[in-house]
Amino acid sequence: MKTLLAMLALTTALSAPALAAPVTLTTNLSNYGGDGAYLALYVTDAKGAYKGSLWMAGGKAKYYKHLSDWHRATGGNTAEISGITGASVGAGRQLKITLDLSDALFDAGYELHIDAAVEDFRDSPSEVVVPLTRAGANKPVAGRHYIRDFTYGM
Amino acid sequence: MKKYLIATTFLAGIAAAGVALADDDDCNVAMSNWQPREAVKAMAEAQGWSVRRIKTDDGCYEIDGRDAQGREIEVKVDPGTLAIVEIEYEDDDDDDDDDDYGKSRKNAAPAGSVAPPDNGLFTPGSKPVVKQ
Repeated sequence: MKTLLAMLALTTALSAPALAAPVTLTTNLSNYGGDGAYLALYVTDAKGAYKGSLWMAGGKAKYYKHLSDWHRATGGNTAEISGITGASVGAGRQLKITLDLSDALFDAGYELHIDAAVEDFRDSPSEVVVPLTRAGANKPVAGRHYIRDFTYGM
Repeated sequence: MKKYLIATTFLAGIAAAGVALADDDDCNVAMSNWQPREAVKAMAEAQGWSVRRIKTDDGCYEIDGRDAQGREIEVKVDPGTLAIVEIEYEDDDDDDDDDDYGKSRKNAAPAGSVAPPDNGLFTPGSKPVVKQ
């Protein structure tokens, strides 16, 4: 039994760094009393430069300019979000995405940003900015206007 | 405040557009700079789409057809650059694009059936799972 446990511990320790674990991104919206929000989830590196997008909630490209930080970084290029675009998220509702992310993103200075925009309301670029660290996982981070809280869990 | 709200609603009604966000036209390209329909057709076929019809709408080319997975699509394309402005799926039941900023739940891309972009963030071959 003991050897089995030891072997299990060993194999887990060996395989863990090589594998990319699924990461669940949970965004809860506040009841701001407007239409559904467009959300852009993307990652910047240690220097603050745009690295890539993780999810786009909202299907109409003509509104993407209101996700202004994301739009500035990408020029609104929809190839950045091909295959990772979904519906906008209603007030008070939850968006939960599970992605297989590269392990190299954690504890390496990367930050996850969420830009938010709602029709006829003020744009809210980088409403959430959270460093991607293993220690920060499962700890909710509050937003400013439309996002009640955001959590990434591993 | 209330007065301001009423005035805004009124103006929005007149303009029949989502004041702060919507433009009148989705594309704005001079007629002389438009690419021919054949170029649009070639672009669509290069994407793996089958084309049923190409028309013009809101200053853009609009392609009606099916995507590579066989889903019905309506794609707006910039007539000058042939860049994709918007993709709508036919199972999306609202046709006007003025008031559906946040109501296009059915317009979601098929998460799980399409691979994420190769931007170094995702594990190659992995598929996103979304719940909302």
